[in-house]
Amino acid sequence: MNSQSNAMLYDKVLKITNVYLGPAADRFMSRQIQNHLNKEPNELTEKDLVSLIVWIKVSVSLLTEDSGIVDEYITKLNELANAKTPTKS
Amino acid sequence: MSDAQSGPDNTNQLIVEKQAEMEALFTSIGDGAITTDEFGKITRINPKARQILGFSEKEMIGGWFPNKIVAVNDQDKIINMIDRPITKAFLTGKTISEKCIYRTKKGKLVPVNLSVSPILVDSKPLGAIQVFRDITLEEEVDRMKSEFISLASHQLRTPLSSIKTYSHMLIEGYMGDVNKDQQKSLRTIIGATNRMNELISTLLNITRMESGTIRVSLKTINAKTLVDEVIEELNLLANERSIEINNLSGKYQLDVIRTDPLLLKEILINLMTNGIKYTPENGKISLTVKQTTEHITFCVADSGWGIPEDVQNQIFSKFFRAKNIVKRETTGTGLGLYLVKGLVDALEGRIWFKSKPKHGTKFYVEIPNGKNQH
Repeated sequence: MNSQSNAMLYDKVLKITNVYLGPAADRFMSRQIQNHLNKEPNELTEKDLVSLIVWIKVSVSLLTEDSGIVDEYITKLNELANAKTPTKS
Repeated sequence: MSDAQSGPDNTNQLIVEKQAEMEALFTSIGDGAITTDEFGKITRINPKARQILGFSEKEMIGGWFPNKIVAVNDQDKIINMIDRPITKAFLTGKTISEKCIYRTKKGKLVPVNLSVSPILVDSKPLGAIQVFRDITLEEEVDRMKSEFISLASHQLRTPLSSIKTYSHMLIEGYMGDVNKDQQKSLRTIIGATNRMNELISTLLNITRMESGTIRVSLKTINAKTLVDEVIEELNLLANERSIEINNLSGKYQLDVIRTDPLLLKEILINLMTNGIKYTPENGKISLTVKQTTEHITFCVADSGWGIPEDVQNQIFSKFFRAKNIVKRETTGTGLGLYLVKGLVDALEGRIWFKSKPKHGTKFYVEIPNGKNQH
């Protein structure tokens, strides 16, 4: 996967996260990626996202009390992480 | 071991025993301990934690951690959850240890030292455990210690001021003529009181630094003006030692900075005074200031005796004095650079140096421009 599509993935993650965390989204996600994966946000891959989701879940659970909202957010990230990139036939 | 012994009943018994052991361990910890699940809900709280926070077990279990355990800053304002140690532990995956202030059920503020770690199973976080200790007593002792030193310093300074004032009056002939020998003695007295005053200031600052009570008070200032003030203050000392000071702060374009002017001034005065003290007569000292978008860097360069290479890694240690300096300058305490390092840390800056024996030393202090700090 090239760096452009990695950056696109981060943008998608950020778009989802913005809905739940608002202005704190970028800071929150950057710290997760840099600390747990030792990578820059624009280097994020789908595989990374799968391993990161467990950490995102526990962290965001401290920012919102509603576990339903946490589950909804995590489901969206899981869908994004497991989405197959369409291949050219 | 027979099949019967290693069967499901035996395994269950072992699990029950281990759980009881863990429960006893958790309950008997002398510090407060709280565990949370993956949704931030409190799953366990030990008696000590309940005692510190004033809540019953029933009130806490199942409650959402941020609602139940309220952390505030010095001004009793609630700390944003994203900046709290438990969130940091999840954001980093590491154990976080910090000082914090908790608000109890009755609204009392309790300073605590805490350590929080993610609970990991197969590298996946399932919650967190937080252990914390009430440090009210330690804080009180620290406060009393600081008050005592502050009081003692003040009490020492007052008689010193009298000695200095009357010595000046005597030397200037306000109380009759004084001969040359008497003048020489009076100058010695004035010099000694000046050194005693410096020593008291240094000790006071070090006490504040070590007890973490140095308060950084940010102000928007012009670095050039501050450097001019520092040099103005040191001109007399430099003249006494026939040292030339070059103020090169106007060499580069400088923007305003946001920092603590008193701490920065203390840093520069210490470095410049060291330069003056440890440079032979007719030597030179310069102060250069450069600025980037993020930082401002001050460079104090002297043409002095330099720091021997084998002790360069020790110069920021408390009471350290290099042998080549002790032989020449007997009055130092070895506290100046230790204090400077602490003050630079307080300003979130860094300090480093380049030195060659007999060719002088250059000290660099870099601090943030602080434009985004309030």
